[in-house]
Amino acid sequence: MDMENLETRVKIQIQKWIVEAQELIQRTPPSQLYAAVAVVGFTILLLILIKLFKRTSSNTIVLTGLSGGGKTILFYQLRDGSSHLGTVTSMEPNEGTFVLHTETTKKGKIKPVHIVDVPGHSRLRAKLDEFLPQAAGVVFVVDAVEFLPNCRAASEYLYEVLTSASVVKKNTPVLILCNKVDKVTAHTKEFIRKQLEKEIDKLRASRTVVSEADVTNEFTLGTPGEAFAFSQCHNKVSIGEASGLTGEITQLEEFIRNLVKA
Amino acid sequence: MLEQLLIFTRGGLILWTCREIGNALRGSPIDTLIRSCLLEERSGAASYSYDAPGAAYTLKWTFHNELGLVFVAVYQRILHLLYVDELLEMVKDEFSKIYEPKRMVYNDFDDMFQQLKKEAEDLAEKMKKSKQPVKAVNANLGKKQGLGQKGGVDGGNKKKSGDDGNGDEEGNKTKNYGYENGHSNGEHVVNGEVTAVVGANGKENRSSNSGAFDKDKLKKLRGGKNGGKKTNTTAVVSKGPKEEPKKKPRVWNDSAPETKLDFTDPVSENGADDVPDVAMDQGESMMDREEIFSSDSESEEEELGKDAKVETKKTGWFSSMFNSIAGKASLDKADLEPALKALKDRLMTKNVAEEIAEKLCESVAASLEGKKLASFTRISSTVQAAMEEALVRILTPRRSIDIMRDVHAAKDQGKPYVVVFVGVNGVGKSTNLAKVAYWLLQHNVSVMMAACDTFRSGAVEQLRTHARRLQIPIFEKGYEKDPAIVAKEAIQEASRNGSDVVLVDTAGRMQDNEPLMRALSKLIYVNTPDLVLFVGEALVGNDAVDQLSKFNQKLADFSPSPNPRLIDGILLTKFDTIDDKVGAALSMVYISGAPVMFVGCGQSYTDLKKLNVKAIVKTLLK
Ligand SMILES: Nc1nc2c(ncn2[C@@H]2O[C@H](COP(=O)(O)OP(=O)(O)OP(=O)(O)O)[C@@H](O)[C@H]2O)c(=O)[nH]1
Ligand SMILES: [Mg+2]
Repeated sequence: MDMENLETRVKIQIQKWIVEAQELIQRTPPSQLYAAVAVVGFTILLLILIKLFKRTSSNTIVLTGLSGGGKTILFYQLRDGSSHLGTVTSMEPNEGTFVLHTETTKKGKIKPVHIVDVPGHSRLRAKLDEFLPQAAGVVFVVDAVEFLPNCRAASEYLYEVLTSASVVKKNTPVLILCNKVDKVTAHTKEFIRKQLEKEIDKLRASRTVVSEADVTNEFTLGTPGEAFAFSQCHNKVSIGEASGLTGEITQLEEFIRNLVKA
Repeated sequence: MLEQLLIFTRGGLILWTCREIGNALRGSPIDTLIRSCLLEERSGAASYSYDAPGAAYTLKWTFHNELGLVFVAVYQRILHLLYVDELLEMVKDEFSKIYEPKRMVYNDFDDMFQQLKKEAEDLAEKMKKSKQPVKAVNANLGKKQGLGQKGGVDGGNKKKSGDDGNGDEEGNKTKNYGYENGHSNGEHVVNGEVTAVVGANGKENRSSNSGAFDKDKLKKLRGGKNGGKKTNTTAVVSKGPKEEPKKKPRVWNDSAPETKLDFTDPVSENGADDVPDVAMDQGESMMDREEIFSSDSESEEEELGKDAKVETKKTGWFSSMFNSIAGKASLDKADLEPALKALKDRLMTKNVAEEIAEKLCESVAASLEGKKLASFTRISSTVQAAMEEALVRILTPRRSIDIMRDVHAAKDQGKPYVVVFVGVNGVGKSTNLAKVAYWLLQHNVSVMMAACDTFRSGAVEQLRTHARRLQIPIFEKGYEKDPAIVAKEAIQEASRNGSDVVLVDTAGRMQDNEPLMRALSKLIYVNTPDLVLFVGEALVGNDAVDQLSKFNQKLADFSPSPNPRLIDGILLTKFDTIDDKVGAALSMVYISGAPVMFVGCGQSYTDLKKLNVKAIVKTLLK
């Protein structure tokens, strides 16, 4: 027996069913038909509602930022309270749904958080688009030590995040997290904020020139005619500090727990 | 001695390192390996060389795809370690027995490792005594790592062990390596060439499977060209059949009725005067139009289905059906072979250069071997999905290609932004230069052209005609002048008159024309342009690799600078004439690591687009 044979038989069978169904519809009184349609419609509506409801209460937090910023370390600090043996450049996202490590000693039932650490390597950026739509919050990790050489690249990436369709449409809060503050050479978060704003301002100028159509996202940032500041964003953009190495991550945890209530 | 052995997850968490060895590695060889080899679809290679101040390491790796683990061994390149491949395999086998996703601490593996290491060392010792060390190891390696497709990998593999950082001598020796390994297929001559060049720099790179001068190597050339320069040229063996320099009479003529932009012929210069001078009203450049790419998922699925059907017919649908329902234990090389072969052929029908299709397939194989096939999936679709991801990764630019931003940045510094257009003859450099000028003009950037093709008669006039139609200034000094000087003067002129951008037209040249390549290298060295744009025809097949790699190689060889400028962007022309044969885009990006910044797709000034990665990937896999 080969495939075609099977196929034709299946086709014949389906056709039979269709004919039977049509007969059935003709035989049943219209009132019953309407009732059936109403029931089906109602179920669909319910499903849509459930889906909408689910989306609003997403518990996903996305960690993003340039490669080497310390996302993976932070991920494991959140999960295990340890940086283990250290990390290397990620080739795949790390994902997990868990109760934060600092909360494991607390009593009562705590809502777990779904945390995704998306690799920063530019070849893997496409992965971010998969996770942004379900994010309740985005953490943009910045390396506060090696900040200046990477300032422009970081700004471009942050710009992409801030103008991505799902972040704009859903007003997803963003935390810019300056990591590695355990090092004395780390820049302050104020300095980093200013530099990022300045750089995004320039980017905005060049992007709006081009943006008549060829840039893929049609959203622009901030108030036209004014120097860009994060406060102009419609979504909440805050800035914090952390050290993934020493486990100093309270500001990150607060951000998460503000969005995903325990 | 082994410097280090690491076990980490694909997510990037280190699970185990050998504490006994405990040497701190210099630089960051592991991160570099991941970033410039494993994530660049070069994981099909057998080893990778890392250089940092005071360190020259060789790295070898193996994947456990089902568990998502990576095993990497690091050792000093001067050491001729024969047991590393075996050791890695043994470590993989043993470690996967005790691995659990939840578990983070594997201190108990220390003892096991010492034992394995001893075993491996003994084995190597024995092999050495039995006088056929190399072959034995390589044979095993091919099997175990499952990537010894053509032996090219092994060929390179060996050579490294001899690479004692002794530049000059090395260059001469390398030629023999392929032979030494018992692989004497013709490809190795080419291999010799490549490695000779690289070896001379005291660096070498593994992934040169079949003579590709690939990007990692270019990076190395960029990184350091200290000493040993002589060998660079002496050991060059030219690659197989080469296409003769052919000056095609404007290929686009046959596809389009009218060549609006063709002003090549100096005679037509008078005629061109009749052309309306102002070309500013041709509408917006296609660069500015959002490409609507309807992802026709329905037809896609259908296609996939069809594909799979073909596949099933071949292998007997019952066993395949059974496999797809039960979920096969784990994929091995033989399972993947037919699907990969089909995929490779498909890529090649899309005009992807053969060696690149080959390497991609190796890399995909390396990422899939040992993986469990999920229930209700077919091997062919699994392979296809993996390839799709790989293609997206390659074609996604590593850096931003926002020229406007760069133009503005240069403007802030009070300097003109300089773009040099380079490429072989007849690919449409001047025409597409004009299109780029048109696009820039539309965004209120002031542009100046520099006619530095002082070689081909008629070139200056052709550019002048474009300049007139676009009403932009052109800097020209006639023929016979040194193009490097003309460009320099043009840039000075642009600074004076406040032009934002200078577009430098250069003579088309074949990649093997040494005097002209030397001149180009000089032009780039003298003028330090902001962007070196390689203009290439979308029509080229296997020659794409040769063109780009030679251009980069010559630019590096002839530059007096220790950090020579190489090609940093690609403009793909005649994209409208190739139908679905979009492979050149992939070949060029893979080989040079430079992104496609523009795509020329027609006869008018507006016919300039950005590369649509999704569309290209879809077409490639169709
Ligand atoms: N001093 C210091 N180093 C840190 C800190 N956090 C991370 N690092 C180091 O930074 C390096 C990169 O950290 P990762 O967590 O792997 O970086 P990542 O953001 O996940 O990078 P990708 O996976 O490539 O995107 C590692 O070597 C860490 O040890 C920190 O708080 N302080
Ligand atoms: Mg990471």
